Amino acid sequence: MRRFFTGLLAAGLMMTLAGCGSGETAAPAGGTLYAMDTVMNFAYYNTDGGDADTAYTQTTQEIERLEQLLSRTRSDSEISQLNGAGGAPTIVDGEVAAIIADALTYSTATDGAFDITIAPVVTAWGFTTDHQQVPEQSELDRLLKSVDYRRVSVDGDTVTLGAGQSIDLGGIAKGYASDRVKAILEKNGITSAMASLGGNVYVRGSKPDGSAWRVAVQDPKNTAAYAGVLSLTDSFAVTSGGYQRYFTQDGKTYHHIIDPATGAPAESGLTSVTIISPDNGTMCDAFSTALFVMGEKKAIDFWRTGGYNFEMVLITADGRVLVSEGAAKHFEQEKGSGYAYETIPRTAP
Amino acid sequence: MPMKRSRALRPKPADALVVLAVVLAAAALGVYFWGGSSSGSLQAVISQNGQVTETVNLSRLTEKEERVITSNGYTLHLVLTSTEVWMESSTCPNQDCVHTGKISRPGQSIVCLPARVSVMLTDGNASGVDAVLG
Repeated sequence: MRRFFTGLLAAGLMMTLAGCGSGETAAPAGGTLYAMDTVMNFAYYNTDGGDADTAYTQTTQEIERLEQLLSRTRSDSEISQLNGAGGAPTIVDGEVAAIIADALTYSTATDGAFDITIAPVVTAWGFTTDHQQVPEQSELDRLLKSVDYRRVSVDGDTVTLGAGQSIDLGGIAKGYASDRVKAILEKNGITSAMASLGGNVYVRGSKPDGSAWRVAVQDPKNTAAYAGVLSLTDSFAVTSGGYQRYFTQDGKTYHHIIDPATGAPAESGLTSVTIISPDNGTMCDAFSTALFVMGEKKAIDFWRTGGYNFEMVLITADGRVLVSEGAAKHFEQEKGSGYAYETIPRTAP
Repeated sequence: MPMKRSRALRPKPADALVVLAVVLAAAALGVYFWGGSSSGSLQAVISQNGQVTETVNLSRLTEKEERVITSNGYTLHLVLTSTEVWMESSTCPNQDCVHTGKISRPGQSIVCLPARVSVMLTDGNASGVDAVLG
């Protein structure tokens, strides 16, 4: 009889252990959304008593609200009304004014490498439409005259654009949305979650099994492969690359990241820029574009100033992957990728 | 002085049977809870408008398969093999889905925004990739 109860106890222990395992792999709340001109995926886990279903419902509502608020292509959005005001001071939602003010801060920090007034030039290239084309240089020269973030002013909830200007928050809207996702997860007590908003990723806590989230950096020269994998917890990560959206005309390829200085696709020698930060998705979004435009040397100099809390992975057209010192300890190189990997020290050698 | 072992504590054939039963039960439970049939096998999850319409276990494909997907007014021609997936053609205007090329690793996806179609590769393996930047 004693043997029987011993066996029963052991079997019960095994069932308990197996039960724990099943809890860790429980299906998350979440799903796929098409919004902000991209596809988004969410996976929220109920690991510490948080309400993942409610968090996901609130996320979908928030994304819909932000799209309505920030879209340049929706005629009823606040941005469309501002762009159509002909340069007159316009009272906008306080949240919109704050986002524009943040955008101007990032424009100033990057000396205009990120500029929300690039909108008319992007339109001329057709990247916001279904008809992409190479504009005439004369048209670009004319449009570039209105590209200057310094002529946009924000005073409380009143925003004023310069003559002929229009703005596009597409360069930071998804990053801002990821910040809002973080706030929703916090409010609902979610401690394990992954949100991918196009090229913008936010991971909260660790995976349900306690390991870090594995976030791959796509290989720009072969989108079927990775250039490396980042192991992240509680981080935002955003990648900008010329391979993401492009078209070919007369045998030449034109990508969608426009240099505000030239009005043409940036040719900086970089093919991909990934920005990682624990703090701010909006900043990651803006800086991924800005550093792509800057090129290797300026990007590294900017990172070394330490003015903003971020790490980065740069991929160059000549086959190097440059990983900043803080990111290197979380970065796994891809064997057989053909890239040469280098760590960028915080201080210049 | 060596301790004298009690006769009652000596292993008996019945003890071995109990141990064997517990080990078999643990193994069965382990397979049931952890050894999911999809673990480690490459799967393509095809979605339209955010809803999963088909999951294809690529590991079980013995020859190339094709899917013609009509969604949101566009027609897409998807090709699947045991190791990779690609969008052969699409009537969408920007061709981003076709430009994506062949995908072969868990976490990678092909997205056609105009058609609202996505194809994501998964393997149910915790050591795979959870998200892809780019």
